[in-house]
Amino acid sequence: MTRISLLRPLAAAMAAVWMVAGCGGGTSSEALASNQTLRFAIIDQPTSLDPSDVDSAVDITFLAEVFTGLYKFDNNLKIVPDGTTGMPDVSADGKTWTFHLRKDMQFSNGDKITAKDWIWSWTRTLKRNKAYASNLYIVTGAQDVANGAAASVSGLSAPDDYTLVAKLDAPAGYWLSQLAMPTASMVLDQKVIAAAGEDAWTEKPETYIGSGPFKVTAYSAKESVEFEPVKGWWGGDTGALTKVHVDFHIDVAAQVQKYEAGGYDIVGMANSPAGPDDVLRFKSDPAKSKLLTIYPGARATAVGFNFITGPFASKPGATAGAPTNGSSGTTDPGLAGRRAFSLAIDRNQLADIACAHAITCQPATGGPIVKGFKGYLGDGGDPWAKFDVAQAKQLLEQWDPSGTKRKNLEYRYNTSPANDKRAQNLQAQWKQNLGVDVKLVPSDFPTLQRDRKKKIVIIGRQSWSIDYDHPQDWFDNLWSCDQAKVGRGNDEAYCNPDLDKITAAANTKPLDQALPDYVSALKTLVNDVVWMTIDYGTQPYIVQTYVKGAGYNGLYDYSWVGIKLTQH
Amino acid sequence: MSRGLAVYIVQRLLLVALTALIVSSVVFIGVHQLPGTALISERDTNPATEQILMRHYHLDLPWPQQYWLWITGLVHGDLGESLVNRGVQITPLLLREASVSVTLGVAAVIITVLVGMSLGILAAIRQNTWVDYLASTTAVIGYSVPSFVWAFLLILLTVSGFYTWTGGFIYEDIGWGKPEQIPVPALALGLPYAAIVARLTRASMLEVIRQEYVRTAWAKGLASRAVILRHALRNALIPVISILGPLITGIIVGSVVIEYLFGIPGLGQEFVNSILSRDYNIVVGVFTFYAALVGVANLVVDLTYPLLDPRIRY
Amino acid sequence: MASLPTSVEASQELLLSELPEQMSMAQDAWRRLQRNRLAVIGLAIIGLFLATAVVSLVWTPYQTWQQALGPTYQGPTPAHPLGLDDYGRDILSRVMGGAGIALTVGVGASLIASCTGIVLGMLAGFYKGKVDALISLVVNIFYGVPDLLVALILVVLIGRGIFNVILAIAITGWLGMARLVRGQTLSIREREYVEAARTVGTPNLMILVRHILPNALGPIVVQATYLVPAAIIFEAFLSLLGLGVPPPAPSWGRMASEGYKALQIAPHIVLAPCAALSLTVLAFNWVGDGLRDAIDPRMRR
Repeated sequence: MTRISLLRPLAAAMAAVWMVAGCGGGTSSEALASNQTLRFAIIDQPTSLDPSDVDSAVDITFLAEVFTGLYKFDNNLKIVPDGTTGMPDVSADGKTWTFHLRKDMQFSNGDKITAKDWIWSWTRTLKRNKAYASNLYIVTGAQDVANGAAASVSGLSAPDDYTLVAKLDAPAGYWLSQLAMPTASMVLDQKVIAAAGEDAWTEKPETYIGSGPFKVTAYSAKESVEFEPVKGWWGGDTGALTKVHVDFHIDVAAQVQKYEAGGYDIVGMANSPAGPDDVLRFKSDPAKSKLLTIYPGARATAVGFNFITGPFASKPGATAGAPTNGSSGTTDPGLAGRRAFSLAIDRNQLADIACAHAITCQPATGGPIVKGFKGYLGDGGDPWAKFDVAQAKQLLEQWDPSGTKRKNLEYRYNTSPANDKRAQNLQAQWKQNLGVDVKLVPSDFPTLQRDRKKKIVIIGRQSWSIDYDHPQDWFDNLWSCDQAKVGRGNDEAYCNPDLDKITAAANTKPLDQALPDYVSALKTLVNDVVWMTIDYGTQPYIVQTYVKGAGYNGLYDYSWVGIKLTQH
Repeated sequence: MSRGLAVYIVQRLLLVALTALIVSSVVFIGVHQLPGTALISERDTNPATEQILMRHYHLDLPWPQQYWLWITGLVHGDLGESLVNRGVQITPLLLREASVSVTLGVAAVIITVLVGMSLGILAAIRQNTWVDYLASTTAVIGYSVPSFVWAFLLILLTVSGFYTWTGGFIYEDIGWGKPEQIPVPALALGLPYAAIVARLTRASMLEVIRQEYVRTAWAKGLASRAVILRHALRNALIPVISILGPLITGIIVGSVVIEYLFGIPGLGQEFVNSILSRDYNIVVGVFTFYAALVGVANLVVDLTYPLLDPRIRY
Repeated sequence: MASLPTSVEASQELLLSELPEQMSMAQDAWRRLQRNRLAVIGLAIIGLFLATAVVSLVWTPYQTWQQALGPTYQGPTPAHPLGLDDYGRDILSRVMGGAGIALTVGVGASLIASCTGIVLGMLAGFYKGKVDALISLVVNIFYGVPDLLVALILVVLIGRGIFNVILAIAITGWLGMARLVRGQTLSIREREYVEAARTVGTPNLMILVRHILPNALGPIVVQATYLVPAAIIFEAFLSLLGLGVPPPAPSWGRMASEGYKALQIAPHIVLAPCAALSLTVLAFNWVGDGLRDAIDPRMRR
């Protein structure tokens, strides 16, 4: 808690600097192009554009521009006020947070925003209880609303129109980071949603109302979406862009082609990075390599095993959300199999083949949390990530002496050039090193998501991109018993009550004290091989030379407000 | 338009409608034999919501009833609603994409007929010379090499080739929306069929030229040659028109792959995407569209016959 | 022509006298085919691919699915004459394996489609009436349906896999053959010796098999030959869309689509399968053309 009070003046200063920089306009010496339309594409189409529901990195990019939260991450990953006038006042015991809201905020249709709107929005998010509703669980009474036991959140109150008070169940150092995420805690227009319908309001530009610098002006299902800046935006200057045009369902190879022909300005925004073949091609061309930037990423890719169904299950037949591991559990019939499959993969070979000679990703040997972030177990820290064919074979026979479990295995993943390469290499290595034939079953991302949330995927691609630098982001979203229920984010249905106790306790402590607890929890996780982590990703961006101000801060795209197109 | 002709056209249109109906019914019924929940691709796995959705899409009814609902909707031109993207009406979506595919298809057919016939006529006139052999061999290679290989080569040529050779001055923007984006995919689509048309044209022209009276007239000189050529040309069009039906079907098939490679938002791409995302309502809708399209195209083809061959009357 | 025979023996003699003519027709055709240079080259190419396919079943220089045999994208070297692909797999081995897949799919689909088409076509043309009406109705309705669409739906419904792909292709492939055979049957059944056989009481099945089928065999074989490259290209289309024979099966279409992504840094990857595909299809087309010219009754005069 001392941390926050130190950050407050710092953040306030930063906020001031940010506002000045935003309002003042650039001191650029380059002339602006007459056409300020930013064009790029994404591989699929958005799964959900409703901030209460959203859970994919692609969709988050758009939400960050259309909606506003209490706080946000700036281009340097610093938390700055967005809907507030400064950092929150936190009580001495850390359980009462007071937010001072900006008085000039309004939605793009002119509706004013008061504290009541924030309360309504957060309550709605909890009622719908999707992936990031968990960002609000720490508030007293929030989980009751999520479970349907209450209609309003007892811990939220609005002493006046521009003050929001939240009482927490326990002190939570990470809560500010959660509030800065462009998802579940953003403010929504109650009037519009009530009139247009809880699900239908996102479907038409006229009803898709937010309070961010941009708004949707055209939406063509399966084809494209267009954004334009909000005139007279309360937050100040909306930047140089006059339009942002995004095409859907363009595969990445075609995107790069079109980019090279001048049809797109960027490839890589909204989590649609160029494939390894294209990255390699750009890197080897002296002229093109200047257009390529490889940002260190915060994404881990892994293979997830199902803990309640199938041959790798720890408790076959258990209901999703019931304990599968921990001191209460006894045997884990799938453990040897999961370990065997993990040991049989040479991650160096995979990174070389699937990631353009290890440019777009690095082999993962230190557990699921990405190298460079808190919770990384250190190089080689994952004992089951080493490449050991002999031991793998031994464990394979131990797990499946009759040879029946290893038949008819299917690896599910969402299609993209990089994922295809990883999948094919996994298939080849499992065949070569274990003699097991795994069928590849690609699909589009929404289908994979749907099946993963139903907990019916036996072996599937898993991936997580860090929301903020805190292990809580991983545990509470991916591996808790609560998230193991159907429809929530723990696709493996791994439920270890002992682990949840440890992490729950760690969540209340300041990070430097909590870190050893998180690390020991991670070691348990890694030993249970819940995730077979294979690589840590980087984020390649291909940007035209005339585009200025675009980039990636490790977790999110730079804001569109700072992007401009110079003459070309 | 004579009364007989009008009656004929109406009869044929009814047949087209019937055919489209039967074909799509088969697909509809086939697709609805799958377990019900497989059709719901939703972010919700909340059973209450799933119930609501089932009712919304009438998936809780026995399939004969669903079929009836769909037929009555079809008669009004309503193909229903997308399963994956709620609220998206299928008919306007497909109409928009059909206009894209039809534009591409027509361009391909034009290229096919023009390029193919020119090649065939050239080969026939210069029969048994090196021109003939070259043209004939080119033709066989033309329809042996799959259209996507042509697409690869064309993309290489126009995207990388032109770009590098002219130092970035000329570039081919892959995609759709500008008129100059039509020729390249249309070419890739039409080349194999142009080759087939070339062969047919050559053969039928030769048939005419070989006849005795023609050879005599040909030997006589220029004036009669022109007449012969015109007569031969008209004759040559007939087999080409006769394969126009299968040609159109072939172009529809080819367009699925070509639209995918060039990123063109047409019916073909829609079909592939909706199959992959299990949006069966759209799948059935696209099928209906195509069946109707093929039927109408065949009708148009049959109607142009009498223009070419005065012997045929309806 | 002479009046109809009045005894069984006489009519049987008449039937037998047709046989040498059919045999000499076949010999004629074969002789003419041999003279056609392109057809002979085509046969040689097909033979080469067939031999490659058979050999690939038991041996290829390297496993077709094994990755990381060397640096990815490596060009041709003595150890790997066609180079390595983007996964480090040996391209020569994969082209060999691809021959097996292409020929299996091509010949398999053609066989199934042809047999189905022959049976239904003969039934329709021979029995006429209601049987013909029904079969012709089905054929005419589905003739215009784009076959790729049906195949796509089928592959998604019944899953991927080499037999499923063959089935998907054959399901629309039989229509053309049925039409052809029906036409042939209709004309052949009017011939004198068939009339004779029926009057005498020969069972229908025997008539179909011993008289109608052999006489229609020429066009049937030509059509069946053309069906093979069509099926091969079809499978390549499916592979391009990601719905063909599943990985790591080295289908040429799949190799081409994977290699295309790396076209500018490693052109050799896409070259081999495209060349193999084109050559095989070309060869079958030449043979088909040669067969068609060889059995053409006009040239016989």
